[in-house]
Amino acid sequence: MATALESGPSGSTSANDPTNVIVETRNLGKIYRDFWGRKKVHALKSLDLEVRRGEIFGLLGPNGSGKSTTIKLMLGLLFPTSGRCFVFGKDATDVSKNERIGYLPEESYLYKFLNADETLDFYGRLFDMSADERKERTAKLIKMVKLEHARRRQLKEYSKGMTRRIGLAQALINEPEFLVLDEPTTGLDPLGTRDMKDLILRLRDEGKTILLCSHQLADVQDVCDRVAILHQGELKELGRVDSLLKMQDVTQIHASGLNDDAKSRIKKIIEESGGQLERMDNPTTTMEDLFLEIVKESEQRPGRRGGRGEN
Amino acid sequence: MRLSPEQFWTYSEWLFQHNGLRDGMILALALSILGFLVGYLVSVVNHGPVEGFLKVAQNIGQLFTVDIPKFSFRRVGAIAGLAFKESVRKKILVLIGIFIIAMMFAGWYLDQNADYPARLYISFVLTATNYLVIVLGFFVSCFSIPQDIKSRTIYTIVTKPVRPLELFLGRVLGFAGIGTLILLVMGLLSYVFVVRGLNHEHEVETLDANGKIGQTTFANKHTHTFTLNEEGRGTTNEVKGHRHIVTKVGDRIVIGTKIDDLTARVPIYAKRLEFTGRDGEKNEGYNVGYMSEYQKYIEGDSLSMAVWEFDGVNKDLFKDVISYDLTISAFRTYKGDIVTPVGGIIYFRSPDEKVESERESFKVKEFQVDRRSIRTKLKGFKEGQPADLDFFKDIAPDGKFQVVIRCQDRGQYLGMAAADLYLRPADLQFWWNFVKGYISIWLQMFIVICFGVMFSTFLSGPVAMIATVAAIVLGFFGFFVDQLQASTTKGGGPIESLIRVPSQTGSQIELDLGSPALEEAIRVVDTWLLTGVAQLKNAVPNFDQLGTADFVAYGTNLFGGLLGRHLTIALGYFVLTSLVSYFFLKTREMAA
Repeated sequence: MATALESGPSGSTSANDPTNVIVETRNLGKIYRDFWGRKKVHALKSLDLEVRRGEIFGLLGPNGSGKSTTIKLMLGLLFPTSGRCFVFGKDATDVSKNERIGYLPEESYLYKFLNADETLDFYGRLFDMSADERKERTAKLIKMVKLEHARRRQLKEYSKGMTRRIGLAQALINEPEFLVLDEPTTGLDPLGTRDMKDLILRLRDEGKTILLCSHQLADVQDVCDRVAILHQGELKELGRVDSLLKMQDVTQIHASGLNDDAKSRIKKIIEESGGQLERMDNPTTTMEDLFLEIVKESEQRPGRRGGRGEN
Repeated sequence: MRLSPEQFWTYSEWLFQHNGLRDGMILALALSILGFLVGYLVSVVNHGPVEGFLKVAQNIGQLFTVDIPKFSFRRVGAIAGLAFKESVRKKILVLIGIFIIAMMFAGWYLDQNADYPARLYISFVLTATNYLVIVLGFFVSCFSIPQDIKSRTIYTIVTKPVRPLELFLGRVLGFAGIGTLILLVMGLLSYVFVVRGLNHEHEVETLDANGKIGQTTFANKHTHTFTLNEEGRGTTNEVKGHRHIVTKVGDRIVIGTKIDDLTARVPIYAKRLEFTGRDGEKNEGYNVGYMSEYQKYIEGDSLSMAVWEFDGVNKDLFKDVISYDLTISAFRTYKGDIVTPVGGIIYFRSPDEKVESERESFKVKEFQVDRRSIRTKLKGFKEGQPADLDFFKDIAPDGKFQVVIRCQDRGQYLGMAAADLYLRPADLQFWWNFVKGYISIWLQMFIVICFGVMFSTFLSGPVAMIATVAAIVLGFFGFFVDQLQASTTKGGGPIESLIRVPSQTGSQIELDLGSPALEEAIRVVDTWLLTGVAQLKNAVPNFDQLGTADFVAYGTNLFGGLLGRHLTIALGYFVLTSLVSYFFLKTREMAA
């Protein structure tokens, strides 16, 4: 079960202040049944967690761990078999909570026969927004997700990444306080992933609360303040990303411009102070960083690039 | 066309005297109780008896406290617009193409030799349109919500502040919108088809020496004869349901536009028809042994007569002439001279029988409409003395009067029903009647869409369609269920007929299975089944009665009271299906 490693999210004055809790689940459980009422899957077992104002909360777990079920319960798309789920202090099945929520589904389930403008206009009308307001928001969001060139094209012609971006735009149409993102980076190329992650961080800085669920662990690590790890419908771990990942007894030093002499002196100092040197080598960059660097360079200087790895 | 008495009730008569309101209320109440029980049972399974009750109560409460007050037309508009676009994308408009093709071929098969081609043409276009849009109605409505659930686009809708009523209403209005568009196009095409299909011109073929009587050329498989009066004006005789106006312009005789076939008569019916027997006593009219009970008969050359009582006839509707149509039939007990029709006399009198018009004798025109008229300044009798009369001063000072018909020929009978004599003030425009016929079709389509969307809120697409089709079929054949229940149809209920068919037992023979107990058991179960079906039938709209094609085809004004009734019925079903859908949408998991 959950280990309580929690400390309040940055910026939060008190974790117990009820106005600062956006989502609260109490003993939340869901059993899927077949037509005859027979139990098929116990998808979620008594989940207790809180999502607090202003944080990015990650929901992690392998396929079938209950992530999507949890999100659907929070959105009122499913009704709990046991326990309760509150969003903004209201029951999750209450429609009026939706005024303040934005939701990006796992795959962008949008109407493929609409174009980007029509899509955003349609969802804007569902929020009872006036025509002027819709026009302004649509223009702003399309610019934000960089779809200006494709705003008049039907969504069925969109690539997966573009679909994801218009999906995010529709989730933001009402300037939600709370954003639920189901696998926000699936289907995006590294560049798109980077943009998405930057966007998520920017939205957090604007004061929005974000719940995201993903199995792209690197993404979660990059953006989340706190994570919950689910497995087989049970909460296995809950806490701040930095404290969960910190290896308390390992020290990492990054330095450049050291000669061999300096390196051997460092080794010596470690040995003298009773430590054990586990590794000392040139770090490799991540594939993501390499890719991003190449793309950036190519945008500045188009043309064939001399391979670095071949040298 | 035979009008049944309930077809000319006024709106308020239907609503209050004939229990339209009461029946609607009962249906609403029955469905509410049933809905509550079903909702409660489902809720009990999920939440247990106490919390289940609270959930149901909460849903009912939320309808009035949240969902209706926060209702937004903008959201409904958005969803309706989407449903409209979705239908267009599904190539629903192809239906218009099918309709055009149907009309192109119809021209070959519609019989120009028919006695009343106008009726044929109009019935054809109205019936074709009616069936097409009903089919359209259930195809578009049943699949939309299930499709959204399947493709999960519903996730992005219901996670917005969209309320169940708005979801239902948006769909219904969107589909009604596309239906309206299609009906408009079909209506225009039909109108042109009817008017052009019947249009024809005659010239003068022969003319007698005086230049007064003549015959027209052959056109559209018929000719007319015509007679001109002193002023050089007249009409042709009636052939194929129409006449032409004939005028003399200078030396030339012009056969002009046709009249009577594309029209909208505004019949004023009598409040009641009473019969007097051969002995002068009031009776029910004689039954001459026909299966049909529609017309009753009076006997010739006796005290037997038929009296229509009119009430509240507005004199402003008539100027110098009161026109009336007569469609009575004759029954002969002997052949006699078969060429000479049976004769009758007709006169008008005041309700106190003190003032009456001169008696006018006529020959019965069987199987067609006898167009007759009487002048408002007329000769007649006041308390037995001959006098010059004014119809609305002397005979009908307060709009009440009687029309009396007697049969003149001994041993022959004249048959009539209440609707066989009606006054005929100026006709209304045919196109407006045609539009009203289309409004009637629109209402049927609307009800079908309401049912389709309702079923689709809790059933999958194909199942919802079957349920809707079942409701429509039950609605069209409700009268058959009534007959079965009243046992006027031979052959027994569902189980009994299932045994009779393979065992080839004719419906006139008693079912003999060798075991009286078994036969009785089958009968009891059949009765239960039929009662169940009859209850279901009462819950679905009676499409058979909602059809008004006959009014338009027979050139009778589709009067406001009837249309108002249909409008009210449609509105009633709209409200009922909205409520049912609300509760289903409220209680179902969209992601399940």
